[in-house]
Amino acid sequence: MQGAEKRVVGRRSVLRYTAGATSVVGLSALAGCIGDEGDNGNGNGNGNGNGNGNGNGNGNGDSDLDEITITLSQFPDTIDPLDHITGDYFDVFDHIYEPLFDFEPGEGIFPRVAESWEAQDDGTTHIELRNDVVFHNGDDLTAEDVAWTINRTVDPDIGVVSPIGTFGLGSIEGAEAIDDTTVSISYGASAGLAEFEFGNYARAINQQWAIDNYDAENEAIAGADAEDFNGTGPYQVVDFTSGEEIVVEAFDDYWGEEPPFQQVTFNASGESSGRANALETGEADVTMNILPEDVSTIQDADGVEIRNVTSFRNIFCPMKNTVEPFDSQEFRQAMNYAVDNQEIVDTILSGFGEARGQPVAPGINGFNPDIEPYEQDIGRAESLVEDSGYGGIEIELTAPQGRYLNDAAIGETVADMIDQLDNVSCEVDIVDFGVVSDANQAGVDPDEFEIPFYMIGWGTITGDTDYGVQGFFTIPDNPARTFDDEELSDAILETQQIDDVDERTQALEEVNAMAHEKAPFVFLHTQESIYGVNDVIQWEPREDETIYVWEMDA
Amino acid sequence: MAMRKFLLRRVLQGIIVIWGVVTILFGLRAVSPGDPATLMLGEGASRELVERVREEEGLNEPIYVQYLEYIQGLLTGNLGYSWQSNRQVSAMVIERIPATIELAVAATIVAIVIAIPLGVVSATRRNEPSDYGATLFSLLGISTPNFWLGLMLILVFAVWFGIPYPTVNTSVLALGIVRIPYPTYLGYDFLGFPTGRRAVGFHDAVLAIFLERSFSEMGTWLRHIALPAITLGTYFTALITRLTRSGMIDELGKPYVTATKAKGLPGVLIRYKHVLRNTMIPIITVLGLQMGTLMGGAVITETVFNWPGLGLRLIDALNTRDWPLMQGIIIFIAIAFVVINIIVDALYSTLDPRVSDE
Repeated sequence: MQGAEKRVVGRRSVLRYTAGATSVVGLSALAGCIGDEGDNGNGNGNGNGNGNGNGNGNGNGDSDLDEITITLSQFPDTIDPLDHITGDYFDVFDHIYEPLFDFEPGEGIFPRVAESWEAQDDGTTHIELRNDVVFHNGDDLTAEDVAWTINRTVDPDIGVVSPIGTFGLGSIEGAEAIDDTTVSISYGASAGLAEFEFGNYARAINQQWAIDNYDAENEAIAGADAEDFNGTGPYQVVDFTSGEEIVVEAFDDYWGEEPPFQQVTFNASGESSGRANALETGEADVTMNILPEDVSTIQDADGVEIRNVTSFRNIFCPMKNTVEPFDSQEFRQAMNYAVDNQEIVDTILSGFGEARGQPVAPGINGFNPDIEPYEQDIGRAESLVEDSGYGGIEIELTAPQGRYLNDAAIGETVADMIDQLDNVSCEVDIVDFGVVSDANQAGVDPDEFEIPFYMIGWGTITGDTDYGVQGFFTIPDNPARTFDDEELSDAILETQQIDDVDERTQALEEVNAMAHEKAPFVFLHTQESIYGVNDVIQWEPREDETIYVWEMDA
Repeated sequence: MAMRKFLLRRVLQGIIVIWGVVTILFGLRAVSPGDPATLMLGEGASRELVERVREEEGLNEPIYVQYLEYIQGLLTGNLGYSWQSNRQVSAMVIERIPATIELAVAATIVAIVIAIPLGVVSATRRNEPSDYGATLFSLLGISTPNFWLGLMLILVFAVWFGIPYPTVNTSVLALGIVRIPYPTYLGYDFLGFPTGRRAVGFHDAVLAIFLERSFSEMGTWLRHIALPAITLGTYFTALITRLTRSGMIDELGKPYVTATKAKGLPGVLIRYKHVLRNTMIPIITVLGLQMGTLMGGAVITETVFNWPGLGLRLIDALNTRDWPLMQGIIIFIAIAFVVINIIVDALYSTLDPRVSDE
């Protein structure tokens, strides 16, 4: 069984040692880490700062950086961790309500609250939990809690109506406690796919607490005070101001390693410039979603820096193939040849992106490294349009504003590039994101949708290609698909039943190659995640847009 | 009696205005793009789930049924639940009111304290340098966009003056221009305004003074509110300065001023007691109306400074398309506007009894 019995301690230690060794003034940090494996690795002492011995200037009054502030772009206004499938929410909640597993982009899942797991032959996997995990309210974590949490997530009749259940845990059918520490999870797909799902979305929630705080009228766990939170995570909530901030402190009875900072404040600022300012003045130590235009401001400031990574979020333009002219593969390919992805990345995104020619990003299980992006070739595009029989056609691209990095400008440029073909005229319609979201949900029945060609983004956050393709391309039981093609759909469905991990990965790579060829999207790029970070913090951003404090050090 | 009738008429008009706002909001929600159920659930929700939510939320009902149910809810004080947080909208609105009131009042105080003396000086020293200065200030104040002013204030007072300059000499530090690095100068981090947020509420700052004899919380509150209050108050200040100036000039030319001068009353008494009082009527109207505007949002200022008031919550609700919350906030703003208008009318008729007779 892949990943079974792997130990999380080794991975974290490696991360810490690596970060310590590569830091500018890493000697003291390294000394701190080596000196005491049991401590929080916070051994940098004084003088780490900005290299001039004058402290880090982050406004916290302590160069050891015992407390940090993380400024997100959106703030969780609920205490129910199963309510939303939003990255910013998980960034906060995962420190409080613990996931059963650690997910490492490109690596798979690793034990966390779960100690080991083993697939059975009967469509179930048995997960063995640690026996020393306690909730912040003092209750022990039991297999009953975990089974109930999974059932609450996948069964709307007993839980909150949330896309986590239907999408994140889509193939999971239910769970039951076998004994005090063993949970059996049942699923309707291959063990490998189920593993990616429960590896990301299974969490440890206290059943009795959840029932006590359940707001029946509202079908959610409700509360507005710090003490209303109750997880098993390394941090417990000490202050919660709805819509403003959550302050957490290290939980004394945490089963694992002591987290690197005694106190962490999570807050949010909706504006990129606001987040950049907060970072510069030391009011924030880590901020996310910095726009390319604010990057130079941070790069020019002392004591802070930009760190970026190619994320799991691809941006593309679906073309619904049940209407003209998108029913022609030649036409769809022509649209891809019309667009210069690299130019868009270089100019509109200031280089913060990577041109892409398949539905998922590197690091995702099944990403096909042999597929190159379509390269702009106007002559070939025009000739393919002629072959398709749609020469002279007029089309319209609908693009959102304010949802993705410089989305409206990208939409306008894509439309302009298509418009420069002699035999296609393309207009752009910039709309509210809700319009695009609706278009994406409207399915492929021509009577049901009005917008066949639009721009949207998708983050394959489970780390598996299935999450990035099945919603768009599979046919049975999926009225919200955007592309109608039996061959592609069958190929995806087959991968869902392959148990052998390597074989499944290979099959997913073929799915991505097939998608490139059939061109259901105008493939654009993989978006970069851009963070502003206090430069005393040793931390490398992750492809899955997740921020874990325990992966940081200072 | 006339006064009571006058106010009653105003209250009835106010109710009609609020009903109009509610209806328009409901209409906008009905015609706005984006399916509410999809918006609630986010990208990636299955169609079955969307259908289930539509059913549960009554979104499949005819529009008029939804409208009547919404009105019925409002009449019983139920503004519904936020789609994002699942909390009661009324609670989410109420908890943000203090921050907005603080900001609105602080901005108004900034405006009154600066604008009225400036206007009086400007009117009594016409065509002198102080008058030109006040006029230029008004022009700039009215013409400067709020968001730009806010960003500039943050840039200068929070970012430039807020970051540490280790090599700066102590005389500059003593002037209080530059925030110093650790350890802070004399143990007090006296400089560098925050870029935003409200670290402590006014209520708590006052309590700290009385209960703990500590002024530090009040200091924190003042530091946090200073830049937003100036940003929000600048336009207001400019407006009131101009109004005061022109009102004073009008009044100063009237015969009663000559009469008071002839009686030998001191100039200061004439200007501030008699003339200013008569100038106050249009100023109170504007103050009242502007208070409504400030209360009802200060949306831009709150967004720029991340000030956790109603305006910021409204922007958050707009960004996440949280319709129930959006509606709740706007309805509250409408009510605040109407109530403030009625209060202004009442004050107006007290100051000038002819108003209620008309």
